[in-house]
Amino acid sequence: MNIKYLGIGLIAFSALFMGCDKEEEKGKSNEKPVAAFNMNREISVITREAGSGTRDAFIEIAGLLEKTETSKRDLTTQDAITIDGTQAVMSNVSGNEYAIGYISLGSLNSSTKALKIEGVPVSSETVKDGGYRISRPFNFVTKGKESPLVLDFIGFVMSADGQKIAQTNGYIAITEGEAYTPSKISGKIVIAGSSSVAPLAEKLKEAYIQINPHVEIELQINDSSAGILSAKEGTSDIGLASRDLKESELAEVKGLTIAKDGIAVIINHKNPVDNITLEQLRGIYSGAIKNWGAVLEK
Amino acid sequence: MEIVFFIAALTSVFAVILICLFLFVNGIPAMAEIGVFKFLLGKTWAPTDIPPAFGILPMILGSLYITAGAILIGVSVGLFTAVFLARFCPRKIYQWFKPFIEVLAGVPSVVYGFFGLVVLVPFVRNVFGGSGSSIFTASLLLGVMILPTIIGVVEASIRAVPPQYYEGALALGATHERSVFFAELPAASSGVVAGVVLGIGRAIGETMAVILVAGNQARIPTGLFQGARTLTSGIVLEMGYAAELHRGALIATGVVLFVFILMINFTFSYFKRRAFS
Repeated sequence: MNIKYLGIGLIAFSALFMGCDKEEEKGKSNEKPVAAFNMNREISVITREAGSGTRDAFIEIAGLLEKTETSKRDLTTQDAITIDGTQAVMSNVSGNEYAIGYISLGSLNSSTKALKIEGVPVSSETVKDGGYRISRPFNFVTKGKESPLVLDFIGFVMSADGQKIAQTNGYIAITEGEAYTPSKISGKIVIAGSSSVAPLAEKLKEAYIQINPHVEIELQINDSSAGILSAKEGTSDIGLASRDLKESELAEVKGLTIAKDGIAVIINHKNPVDNITLEQLRGIYSGAIKNWGAVLEK
Repeated sequence: MEIVFFIAALTSVFAVILICLFLFVNGIPAMAEIGVFKFLLGKTWAPTDIPPAFGILPMILGSLYITAGAILIGVSVGLFTAVFLARFCPRKIYQWFKPFIEVLAGVPSVVYGFFGLVVLVPFVRNVFGGSGSSIFTASLLLGVMILPTIIGVVEASIRAVPPQYYEGALALGATHERSVFFAELPAASSGVVAGVVLGIGRAIGETMAVILVAGNQARIPTGLFQGARTLTSGIVLEMGYAAELHRGALIATGVVLFVFILMINFTFSYFKRRAFS
């Protein structure tokens, strides 16, 4: 009995290893990019979840939002894979040759390839001068009754020093600003909101605390809606939002754009496409364009 | 001293009551506002549109399809594994197998999900086409995830069958295999069903692993290799950004899920009572 099962186990295992060998060979042949990339394969369209600031910004700019005075409709194809979170979008695109996705410019790294939009590559310069067409605002949300400390922090963010921090981190400065003059101030600021704005807020916080060592800043990361809500309810002094405020929200809080962010459209490195028009992007995301061949021909 | 034990015991009872209250107080008004039939049978989920559409039928079907697939895989493999472990496995091999199955039960679901994303999704994409994120992929992954649950319950219930059943079958001239499959297994059928029901419960409630491999499209799936969104992943995906009625609709989705789980739990305890009494 014993030997019988050991034998079966052995056969099963060796079969497994043989399977692995084949898999490896396949992997090697995949490394020749042009030969392996099949233009007729279906595009894996990747989108963010409904309500995400990145998605809101993307559909609006790419023309995937059908808007009349009383209605609003998201035209993103229902066949799009829905993923929550920038990192997850990037790991999906880097693992899938046929995928297309979009992320905040500040999060772009070398794991994926950013497409040119209408021939314009994505960079902070092209977002600021308006050449690159897909961008969104980063907002500070307050209740309108800020303490001197909060005002001082906002002053710092809008100063030349603060705006420079935004710029060096891949975001786009909104004003030239004047130099920041520190006053001897102390206390605590609570900041809460969008995970898209948080990396910038973190950098601003570090720089501000270095100048004003007696100030404590607490940063809570969740999302735009939660950030606006916390500012409204007073659980935070400043809410972070990576989208424009809704009218219902503007009745109770006010927003201040501190920087702009571009949205990069990303594809896999194995994909030979490197430029796309807004029209084609709209076609892909609305489901009208199904394969990569249609994008490359034009 | 007993009062301390009593209070400790109350904690879990209170937790269930509080969760129920939270779900129903927040979910029912939203459901009423949307319209119960529009909510449960609506085919479109477009929460950010104006006017919004909150139909969760795609999610209900997504959950059912993926769970059904997982059960198909999990039960066929799990049942035979349990029979093997309980009646065929030599002690030496059993000592090796059992810990493996226990480890399988202990692997965090996000690790399953990541494994699925990195290994299963590209595999399905290369072999079957499409994007790779599909009902099939999710079912395969969940099928493996629920194995320990099914194996555990079924094995215990086979071992709980009185030895007379087996001996009687042997005495009547049946072989070992025949006795196990046609005398012992039917006697343990309540336990088998209990294991399956518990597996369904685990599969339908699983979130993290599914969200990474299922594609999460909120539309009624029409093929095995299409993506689907489950009730759980629907909630997790959008909870962070949801406001107002959208948030209510997600909590109401939780209510639907909760009702599913309740039904499954009652079925489980019914069969468990029959199996081990």
